Amino acid sequence: MLNPGFVIRRILQIIPTLLFILVVTFVIVRLLPGDPLSAIAGDRVTDADVARAKAQYGLDRPLVLQFVAFVERVLHGDLGRSFVIQVPVSSLIADRLPVTLLLTGMAALFAILMAVPLAFVAAMRRNRPADAIIRGAFQVGLSMPVFYIGLVLLTVFSATLRWFPVGGYGNDWADHLYHLFLPALTLAVSLAAVLMRNLRAAIVDVLGAEYVDFARAKGLRPRLIMLRHVLRNALISTVALLGPTIGVLLGGAVITETVFAIPGVGRLMIDSIYGRDYPVIQGLTLALAVVVSLIFLLTDLLQAALDPRVAQ
Amino acid sequence: MKASFRFAVTASLLLGASVAAIGSGSAATRGGIMTYGRYADSLFLDPVLNDANVDIWVLSNLYDTLLLPTDDGKGVQPGLATAWTVAPDGKSVTLTLREGTKFSDGSPITAEDVKWSLERAHDPKNGIWNFLLEALDSVEIKDPKTVVLALKHTDPAILPALSTFNASIMPKKAFEASAGATDADKAKTFGEHPIGSGPFMFQSWSRGSEMKLVKNPYYWRDGDDGKKLPYLDGVTFEVIPDDATRILKVQSGELDGAEFIPFSRVEELKANPAFNMVLFPSTRVFYGNLNVRPKLTDGTANPLANEKLRMALNYAADKDALIAIVTHGVGTPMSSFMSTATPMHVGEGTEFPLDVEKAKALMKESGLSGVTFSCLVLAGNVDQVSTATALQQMWSEIGVTLKIEQVDNATITSRYRAGDFSMRLSVWTDDIADPNEATSYFAYYPTIQSQHSGWKNDEVDALYEKSQSELDPKVRAGQFARIQELYKTGPIVPLFETPYPVVLKKSVKGFVQIPLGNNIFVATSLEK
Repeated sequence: MLNPGFVIRRILQIIPTLLFILVVTFVIVRLLPGDPLSAIAGDRVTDADVARAKAQYGLDRPLVLQFVAFVERVLHGDLGRSFVIQVPVSSLIADRLPVTLLLTGMAALFAILMAVPLAFVAAMRRNRPADAIIRGAFQVGLSMPVFYIGLVLLTVFSATLRWFPVGGYGNDWADHLYHLFLPALTLAVSLAAVLMRNLRAAIVDVLGAEYVDFARAKGLRPRLIMLRHVLRNALISTVALLGPTIGVLLGGAVITETVFAIPGVGRLMIDSIYGRDYPVIQGLTLALAVVVSLIFLLTDLLQAALDPRVAQ
Repeated sequence: MKASFRFAVTASLLLGASVAAIGSGSAATRGGIMTYGRYADSLFLDPVLNDANVDIWVLSNLYDTLLLPTDDGKGVQPGLATAWTVAPDGKSVTLTLREGTKFSDGSPITAEDVKWSLERAHDPKNGIWNFLLEALDSVEIKDPKTVVLALKHTDPAILPALSTFNASIMPKKAFEASAGATDADKAKTFGEHPIGSGPFMFQSWSRGSEMKLVKNPYYWRDGDDGKKLPYLDGVTFEVIPDDATRILKVQSGELDGAEFIPFSRVEELKANPAFNMVLFPSTRVFYGNLNVRPKLTDGTANPLANEKLRMALNYAADKDALIAIVTHGVGTPMSSFMSTATPMHVGEGTEFPLDVEKAKALMKESGLSGVTFSCLVLAGNVDQVSTATALQQMWSEIGVTLKIEQVDNATITSRYRAGDFSMRLSVWTDDIADPNEATSYFAYYPTIQSQHSGWKNDEVDALYEKSQSELDPKVRAGQFARIQELYKTGPIVPLFETPYPVVLKKSVKGFVQIPLGNNIFVATSLEK
C-alpha cells in the first residue's frame, strides 16, 4: 500500500520543475541568433519586413514583458499561435503528441518484451554460450545508430518484403499500430539493450542474495522463487531506470519520426527550432516536461509499490 | 553556347511533351489520385501572406491567376483573363475576364474579386511579396468583364507579375466572411480551408503528414479530349523529410512521384526502367556570397573588400570539379549571377573558368598574403559541406585559408543580415519570369545591400531603376546585359546551377515543374 503523504509530496515536487523549465526555454530560444521571419523567408526579407513582423508578434517589447505576457497566457490555458504555420499551439500539440506517445509507448512495450525474457535466460545461463550470444547481440543493437536501424528495417521489411508500409501514420487505430510497428521496433532496440543489461545484472545479484538461498532452503519451488523473490527485487532497479530512459526514447523519436515520416512532436520540435517558432518551442517543451514528469512520478510510485522503503 | 543551351532546354521540354503525348495515345486517361512525396509540408496557404517555397510551389494548384506562366517559365498565357493590352504609354493594363468562371465552391468569379485580390496583394502591409505589384496604383472595374490596372509608373514586368502566386484571385466574400478581426486573422482561418479557382480544390490537411486536393469541378480549362481539366481526380501530397525514405516509397509503389531526389541517387534511378527520372530546368543557382565591406563587424580589416582577391577566388574555384563532387555531374556552371533560365540572362560557359596561374597573379596584384577568412555553412547539409571543403582545398593553392563554420539556417540568416560574416554558401531561385527580382536582391544596393554583402555600384543601381520602367525590351535587355557585366566584380563566387530532380513512375504523364519551381498537375494523368 502506498503512503499518501509520499504521493502528494511527489506531485507537489513537479510544480517547481515545470516553472523552471518554463523560464529556461523562454530565455534559451530567445538567446539563439535568428528570428522567425528571417528563418523562413531567408534572402528575401528586408529590414522593414522584419521590424513589421516583430511588432506584429510582440517581439519588439522588452523580454520581461514578453515573459509576463507568456506566463499569463499559459495560466489561462493559451499556449499561443505558431508564427510559422499560424495554427494554435495547443491544437498542434493535441494532434502530434498522441502520435509520439503511441510510438514511444509501443517502443517501451517492445523493449520490455524483448529485455525481460532475454535477461532471464542470460542470467540463468550466466557465462555460458547463450549469455554471450544475447549480450553480444544487444551490444550490436546498442551501438547501431537509430537512423541506420530504421533504414535497414525499412529496406528489408517494407521495400523488399512489402510486409509493412514505408513510413506514414495511417488513418485509423489498427492502421496506426500497423504503421508504427517498424518505427517502434527501431526505437525499442537500444532501449531493450539498456534494460536487458541492467536487469541481467540485477537478477545475477539477487540470485546470490541470502534471502534467495533461504527460500531455496525452505524448499520453495524454483518458479515461485523466480517470480516472488528474484523478479520482484530485480525489477526495482530496472523500473527506476525506465523513467530516465524515456528522455532518451523521446530523443530517438525525433530521428525515427524523420526516417519513417511520422507526424509526431519530435519532427515538430526540430522544424520549430529551425524556424525559430517561439510559441511552438515553448508550448512543446512544456507539454513534454509534463509528460516526462508524469512518467517519473509513475515510475517512482511503481518503485514504491515494489519496495516500500522508497517511500520512507 | 547560351543559344545551344536554351535550345537544349526547349528541345527537352518539347521532347518531354511529345513523349507524354505518344505515351498516352490520342488522349490522356482520366481519373485516379496521384500521390506525390514532398520533402517538407506547406506552412500557410494564403498566396499573399505566405513566405516560403513550400507554399509557393503548390499554390497554383489551388488558386488561379489572371495570366499563367508558360511551361518554360519565361512567358505568360491566358488564365482567368482571355486577353490583355498594355496601353501605348505603358501606364495601364486592360484585361478581359474569362466568361463563366467559378470558384471551387461554385460561386462566380467577379471583377470585384479581381480588384480586391490585386489590391490586397499590392498592399505593402501584406507580406513580403507586394513588391511584385509595386507599380499598381488602382484597379478599376470598367464593366463586369473588363478590369483596368492603372500603374504609378510603367512596369515591364507587370504581365509576369500577374502570373505569380501572390496575384492569385481569391473569393472576396468567402475571405471576408472568415472568422477574425483583421486581414491577417481572416487569412489564418481562410488558409485552414482555402477556396480558389485552380484545377484542384482543398480537401483535407493533416499537418506534417499529408494534404489532399481533389479535382475542382468548376475549372475552366479543357484537356486534349475536349472535356474539362484536370485529368486526375485528385492529388495527395505526402510529407517525407528523409531522402532515402522518399525514394523507398516510390520504389515500393506507395508514391507516384517524389521531389528533391538527392543528386547522388539520380544515375541509379535513371537506370531503373520502372521510373522516369526527370531533371526539370530550373532557376536554381548555388553561389558563395561574400561580404565586401572594408571592415568586419569586429572592426578588423576585411580582405574580401579587395576586388583582386575576389577575382582570384573566382579563377581558383574549379566549378567542373564541384559539379562532379557535389551534384554528381547533374549541374552546369553559372555563366552570370542569374540562372540561364532567367529572361535576359547573358553569359556563356563558365563565368570564371579555372585558371590557377591567373589567380596566383591576381593574388600578387592584390598585395595580400596569408589571407584567412571563414565561410558559413548550413550544418548537416551535405551539398554545402562538400562544396566548402572542396573550395577550402582549391583556395589553399593560392595561399588562401578558408575556415568552415557549420551553423543552422536561422543563425546564418541573422548573421549575414547583420553583415557579420565573410562568406556564406547560398541557393537562389526566381519567383517571377523576369530578371528584376534576382537583380534587385543580388545587385541593387537599396533592397538588401546586394545580398547583405555591402557591395554598391552606382551605375548598377541607376540601370536597375531605369529597367524597372523601360518598356522597350531591347533597351531593357541591354540594361540587364550591362548590369551582368558590371556584376563580374561583384560580391559573389558564382558556382553552378542545378535542375529540379523529380522521380516519377512510368505511368505518370504530363507533370511539370517549371523553372520557377511551381508543381503543375493540371494536365497530369496516370496511364496504365
